[in-house]
Parts: sequence; structure tokens; C-alpha cells
Amino acid sequence: MDLSQPLREHLPRKGSGGLLASLGLIVAAFLVAVVAGLATVLVLRLVAPQAPTWLGLVGGLAVFLPTLRAMARRFAWIVPWYYLLPALVFLLTFTLFPVILTVVLAFTDYSGVRNGQLNVASETAIVAMTETRDALTIADPRVFDCQDLRNGCRGARALVYGSGTIETVAVALDGMRLTLSEELPAGAEPRTVSLHLPDLGFAIDVDVRDVDGATLILDRAPPFPPDLEQLVVELVRPTFAVRMSGDDGRRIALGEPLPEGFEAVSIVRYNDFGYLGVANFRTILAQVDRALGPVFAWNVGFAFVTVGINLLVGLLLGVLLNNPDLRLRGLYRTLLILPWALPNIITIQVWRGFLNENFGVVNRLLMLFDVTEQPISWLLGNAWSARAAVLLVNLWLGYPFMMVAVLGALTAIPRELYEAARIDGATAWQGFLRVTAPLLRSAMLPITLTGFAFNFNNFNIIFLLTDGGPAVDWGTATARGTDILISWAYNEAFRSQGGYAYGLGSAISLLIFVITVAVSLVNFRVTGALKEEPA
Amino acid sequence: MRRSDLPIPILWLVAGGLFYLVLATAPEVVVRQRFLVIPGGWWRALALLTLGIGVVGGTAYLWGRSRRPLLAMRFALAAGTHLLMIAAVLITIYPAVYLVAVSLNRANSLTGALPREGSVLVRAGVIPDPSAFSWVQYQKVLGATHLLWFQWVFVAIAVVAVAWLVGVAVIHRQRPMSATRLDRRRRWGGLALFASLAALVLTITPGQFYSVGASGERVGVSGERMVVLFIRNTLLISGMTGLFAVAIATTAGYAFARMRFDGRYGTLMTFVFVQMFPGFMALVAIYYLMSYLDLLNTFTGLILAYSGGAIAFSSWIFKGYLESVSPSLEEAALVDGATRWGAFVRIILPISVPMLLFIFLLQFIGTYSEFILANTLLIGIENWTVGIGLRSFTQRAFATQWGAMAASAVLGSLPILAIFYAFQDALTGQYQSGGVKG
Repeated sequence: MDLSQPLREHLPRKGSGGLLASLGLIVAAFLVAVVAGLATVLVLRLVAPQAPTWLGLVGGLAVFLPTLRAMARRFAWIVPWYYLLPALVFLLTFTLFPVILTVVLAFTDYSGVRNGQLNVASETAIVAMTETRDALTIADPRVFDCQDLRNGCRGARALVYGSGTIETVAVALDGMRLTLSEELPAGAEPRTVSLHLPDLGFAIDVDVRDVDGATLILDRAPPFPPDLEQLVVELVRPTFAVRMSGDDGRRIALGEPLPEGFEAVSIVRYNDFGYLGVANFRTILAQVDRALGPVFAWNVGFAFVTVGINLLVGLLLGVLLNNPDLRLRGLYRTLLILPWALPNIITIQVWRGFLNENFGVVNRLLMLFDVTEQPISWLLGNAWSARAAVLLVNLWLGYPFMMVAVLGALTAIPRELYEAARIDGATAWQGFLRVTAPLLRSAMLPITLTGFAFNFNNFNIIFLLTDGGPAVDWGTATARGTDILISWAYNEAFRSQGGYAYGLGSAISLLIFVITVAVSLVNFRVTGALKEEPA
Repeated sequence: MRRSDLPIPILWLVAGGLFYLVLATAPEVVVRQRFLVIPGGWWRALALLTLGIGVVGGTAYLWGRSRRPLLAMRFALAAGTHLLMIAAVLITIYPAVYLVAVSLNRANSLTGALPREGSVLVRAGVIPDPSAFSWVQYQKVLGATHLLWFQWVFVAIAVVAVAWLVGVAVIHRQRPMSATRLDRRRRWGGLALFASLAALVLTITPGQFYSVGASGERVGVSGERMVVLFIRNTLLISGMTGLFAVAIATTAGYAFARMRFDGRYGTLMTFVFVQMFPGFMALVAIYYLMSYLDLLNTFTGLILAYSGGAIAFSSWIFKGYLESVSPSLEEAALVDGATRWGAFVRIILPISVPMLLFIFLLQFIGTYSEFILANTLLIGIENWTVGIGLRSFTQRAFATQWGAMAASAVLGSLPILAIFYAFQDALTGQYQSGGVKG
């Protein structure tokens, strides 16, 4: 290493390795390690059958680490990626991937009744099948219930079950070996066999461990001699996955015929969801005057006003507390930041009790000092009192942060500036106006913007305090008096009044993404946090 | 040093006197809609506050004129500031004090009748009745918790550690000790406290929450009596998220701060971009992902859901910190033949311990108050966090379990309160020095 150069010169600067090349190399090393691990297990099986399987992991690691080392020697540019990859993997998997998935889901009708799962409750019997084996008649279309799906049964997946039990006769029972009169049909996989015991008068189920031609190997020998003439073998139900191509009342058309010899007994469908195009966004736009409009207006208004009043109170107290001659200022500061020191998830819910109309302490205080004629119905009355409650509680929660930020910004202003101003003949008030105010403004601007971005998506205060309520006549069941965009999305996606419309909720989230990114970009531009030379 | 300030006792006397005046000169209290009302109370109070600031300020001004004529105005301003500050402090801490008082009160019902005895404030219900003081709410929410003997040992160690820390602080106040000695003593107390609490968190299980029936059988209890379990769950989730984020983020922050390589800027932008999104915005997708991975209703799933944002944030802060640290130490180590990894482990990690602790605490506090993801992913009551547990109060037996809810809220707030005030300078200082960008 040439030590006449500063350290940075020794670091890999230019190489041919971006993210993709590095990822490729590391994945390759990983695959080599997996092969090595499997080989270790195989060799161990041959040499020492008793050895535990996890030794394979040790073998894999023993290859993986030297491979990484060797790669680092050969491709010096890969080393930084060793440091970055663990973080990057989690970032991509649990943040970026969900974001992308949100974008995808926003264009689907994914919802509670269309959640992609097998709908066990929809199982219905098949009463007939056409000669061509590609259309079925089902017993009860109301149980099968294709109405919940967007296009009826068309395009949805289903499972057709074959027969589940076989009644047969055995010829001999020898301990745990039960020999049947004939072999089970091909493909039938027995699960249990029900043996009738005449001595006891009822039947017991015995698991079948293995099949050997016409002989079933049972899990245990029956305690009494069973009636060999009366056997019911329960099968692992043969299933056949199909895609339906349409339905007409009780008739279901299948996309492809069922295989020959498959005895279709019942059918069950999936809660399939699919692509809708921009229909979710059209739904949002269709509700612009009842949901999107009022919610968006209140959301922006709330974020502005709450940051504004928090900043005002924080400024007032911060400027007053900044007086170095004030005694007890440490104590005042310590006591005033108490709301910040308490977890807001708890305090917000406690405020619900304080704001109770008839028994809450807030109304008791207001009435005691004769501020209001009537007790105020904070949370359940009209939208404006609930909005005032949200702003007041958020003021209590949020001003200590602003106050501390103001104090910090004021401390950072060099005293010499004031001295220079005084020498130039400025009064104290002029000093404040010409020196403090501009410097404070530039220091508080990024904090205010951060506060705006935070409060714009402040789900906790809305959901835990008012739960989005009260219901208002200009809103909908999911977009009520104090709902903001994120709580509206939550209501659509995760609550029964929104019908668990995950797709619609994702579409709203997508709108919030766009707004949040815009606010953040403005913030970064203001703070210059990203002003770093592109490498 | 000059202090342009009044002796404190005078101010307290004046303020107390004014407060007494408000009460004493108040007209007869009337009852309106079951509320106690002092007619015209608000303008009286406001007038008295204004008057008070004037009187106190005036007193200070006159006192100042007689002592230091040039500073008289400053005295007056400082005196007025004190009154305003006292009012602000009262309004700020009143909800918290009231909550603690409710939790120490026999009445469990929010809608109970108001007491007929006592001062106006007690009769109006703005101060809980002191004669109904009781520990019964805490007994109720803690009564179904059955600790095993070794868990009691951990509790005892934690209590001793807290006493030790408080004792060290008090002694230091009386007779300041040297920084290294103070640091060593604090570190031992802190480590013992952390270790015993961690052991408690890891060993408490949902099976330890039951009440004993008439014939000695165990009866399951409702969520209102499982607050200790909820706190344990929250501590476990927050702690694991913080540890995980710090463990993964340190190497990434180091690479960003000290290495130059192709794709650095793009990767850095990815981190920044990802950090912009609060994780819960992709709620539906995370729910889908976790149900696909079969991690719904598990701590692992929730911690993984938090991990992305936590890691991005932590790496970003750690990068900023390392850029403010001179690289000369590492350079010296490299000259002496250390490898890059060796320099990172032996030099960077040890000097960054305070910063890593700070990042951990930030993450811990943030995760503690997270609601929406926890509420969506954790379905089973045995996995609930404190916030979800409290919500079961507000959704169901709110009015009738008010005292028990207050006790749960106080217990649930204690960990964060303790952490916040123990590390107050570090946690509030970040916004003063501009250490956290963006």
C-alpha cells in the first residue's frame, strides 16, 4: 500500500461493479455454498448416518466465507457491497417491495371477499356432468356464490373434488395388515379406514400407514376383531384444479375437460381477484365531492394549522425560555417537555376520556370557569368540535418539540451578532427583528416542513382520538368528519364499513405516496440534505 | 454573574396569593346541567392573571429601581415571564397529574357521581377526591400477573439497580465525583437494570396471566388485566426492532461514509427514498406479504415490517455521524496493518457506542408508539402491544373501567418516560445541533 497517498485514494474508486454485478457475484457465491452444504449432508449420510443435518450449514458456511474472501481479492470493488447488502436486502424486501406491491394492488379488486384464498364455505355438490366432461351442474349456486366475484365464475379458479370414501370388503386381517378383496382404484390414496367392531357395537377409525398392493398397513391393530364385510376406506380426496369459463345458474362451464375416470363429487371455488385497470381511481374520483375532496381539504388544513399553532406556542415559550438570566429555566423546560416524553399512543387514548362530553375533565374545567354555556360534545358532536379537539390535543402533544427546536436554534446564534448590532446602535427589539428572526426562520424551516410531512400522515392522532368520526352528512361511511387520507385508506381496506376493499385502499395509499414524496423533495431541497457530490 | 431576577419565594407568594384570590373572591358556585359553574369565572381568572403579571412585574420593577435602576425593566420582564411559565407548566402537566390521580383513586367509573365534600375543585371533579385515595386500580390490573420465583429475583435486581442509579445521581449532586467514576457507577447500574429487564421480558409468557377460581383452578382473564404482558410484548418488539436496525445499519452507514464505489450515490438515494415512506402506508401490501409468508400475528412479522424503515433511518444517521468523525484513527490502524473489517470492528464500533445507543433509543421510542401496523398484523390478544391493549378499553368498557385504564396507561408510559428523562439531553439535543438531517 502506497502510504504517501491519503486513505481515500486506496479505496476502490472506479470499477466495473454496480449493484447488479455485485448482486450476481454474491448470489453465485451463495449458490456455491448451497451446493457445498448439500454435498456435506450427502457425504455425512454415507460416512456417519447418525450425524445431525445442520452440519450441512456448517459445511456451506465453510465454503461461503472463503469464497467471499476470494472474490474480494479478485474483485476489489465488491467489498463495499458486503457492508451494504444486509441492509439493502431488508430494505428491498420489506419496504420497497411492499411499495411496488401497493402500486400493483391499486389496480386490482383485491378485497375481503376476493382475497385469493380458497373459499371453503363455497363447497357444493356436483349433481351432473356433460358427456364432454367440461360442464357441470351444481346443487346450489347460492352456496357457490359467484356473485361476489367481478365476472361471476368466469375466469375464476376452482377445485373439483373426487369421491372421498370407498366401501369395500376385506379378506383377512393379520395384526396390522389388512388385506382387501381387491386393490383400491389407481390414484386413490387411503387416509384412514373405518372398522366396525361388533363386540363394541361401534366403528373406530384407524390411520393407514402404507399400502402394499391390496394390503393396507394400519397404524395400530384394532383392539377387537372387526367386521371384515363392512369396511369404509376414507381417501385423501383426489382434487383437480380447474379454471371456470362461465356460469349460467346451476351450470358451470370449465375451461378444460376433467380427466377420464375422475369421479367429480363436489366443487369449491377460490376468492379470485384480478386486474381492474383504473377502476379504483375512477371510484375515488367519483366520490370527489363526498370523500376525496373534503378529506383532502381537511388533511391539508389540519397539517398546516396544527404545525402553525404548535410552532407559534413553541416560539413564544422558546423565546421566553431562552433568556439566560431567567431562574429555574431548566426546571420549566424539563416540565414543559413532559408530553413529548410520554408515548403518544397512550396519551391520545387517555385524552378520549378527558374529552368525554358529560364526565370529561376538559368540559368540567370549561364549565367551572363558565367558558361555555353548554358542555361541548367534543368527539361525537359536529365535525368542527371534533376537529378542534384534534388540534388541541395535537398542540399539547407537539409544541414541546417545537419549543426545544426553537431553543436549539436560538442557542446556535452567535452572541457576537447581537453585540455587533448593539454597537451599530440597534435596540433590543431591533436586534430581535433583524438578527434573531431571520436566523430562526432559516433554522426552523426544515423542522416545520418535517412536521408538516409527519402530521400529514398522523394516523395515531386521528384514529385513536376521534376514530375519524363523527359521521357527517357531507361524507361517506369511510370518510367522516376528521378522517385524513391515510385513515380513509385504512377504513376502506381494513374495516367492514369499507367492505375490506384492499385494492381501493392501496389506490388511496398511492395518492398519499405521491404527496409525501413531493413534500419530502421540497424538504430536501430546502435543507440541502442531498447536496452531496454524485460519485 | 448578574441575575436580573427576583428572589423566587416572593414570586411564589404572589402567584399563590393570586390563585387564592381567584377562589376566594369567586361568586357562589351554581350547578348547571350537573356541572359546577363559577359564573363569570373565565374573565375573572383572565383578569387576575393579567393583573398578576402586572402586579408581579410592577413589584419587580420597583424592587429593581431601588437596587439596580438600570436593570429594573429586565426584572419586570423576568417576573412576568415566570408567571406565564407557571401557567404554561400547569396547563401542560395537568393532564398527566390528573391521570396519575385517577389511577390512585378508588372510583373506577368515569361517569360516577361527583363528591359533595371538599374544595370547589374537588366538588367540580377537576381534581379527583383525595379522600378516595387507593391502590385498588393497580391491584386490579396487576393482580392477574403471576411471576415465577426467578422473575421476582429479576424484579428485585431491577429495583436495586434503579435505587443505585438514583442514589448515585443524588450523591453526585451533593458532592460531585469525577467523570470517570460517575460514568463507571452509572454504567454498572444501567447494565444491571437492562440485563434484569431483558431477562424479565424474555421469560414472561402469556400463560402467567390468570386468576384463581373458587376451587383453585386457573381462569383466563380479559385483556384489561394483562397490561404487564402488553408492556412485555411492546418492549420485546421495540427492543428487537432497535437492535436489529442498529446491527444491520452500522455496516451500511460505514460503507456510505467511508467508501467510494460505483453505484454509491444511487444506493444512497434508494435509502433516502425508502426512508420517506412511513412503513404503514404500504399497509395492505405488508399485510398481503405477511399473510403470504405466514407471519401474521407473530412478533417476527411485525419486526420485519418495521425493519426496512428502521434500517434506512439508522444508516442515514450513522453515516452522518461517521462523516463528522475524523478518519485519522482508522488510517493509523490501516497503516499498522489492520484490515478494513478489523478497523471497523476494533476502531469504529467502540468509538461509536454512544451514537449506536442513541440510534437504538430513537428507534425504540418510535416503535413503542407505533399503532397501525401492530394493530393490523397482531390479531391474537396474547400478542397485543400496550397501545392495542388500551384501545380495548376505549372500545368496550371505557366508562366503567376508567380507573383501571388510567393505571394501565401510567404503567405503560413508565418505560418511555424513564428512558426519555434519563437520556433527555441526547434525545432532545439532536434537534438542537442539527445532528439529524431531513
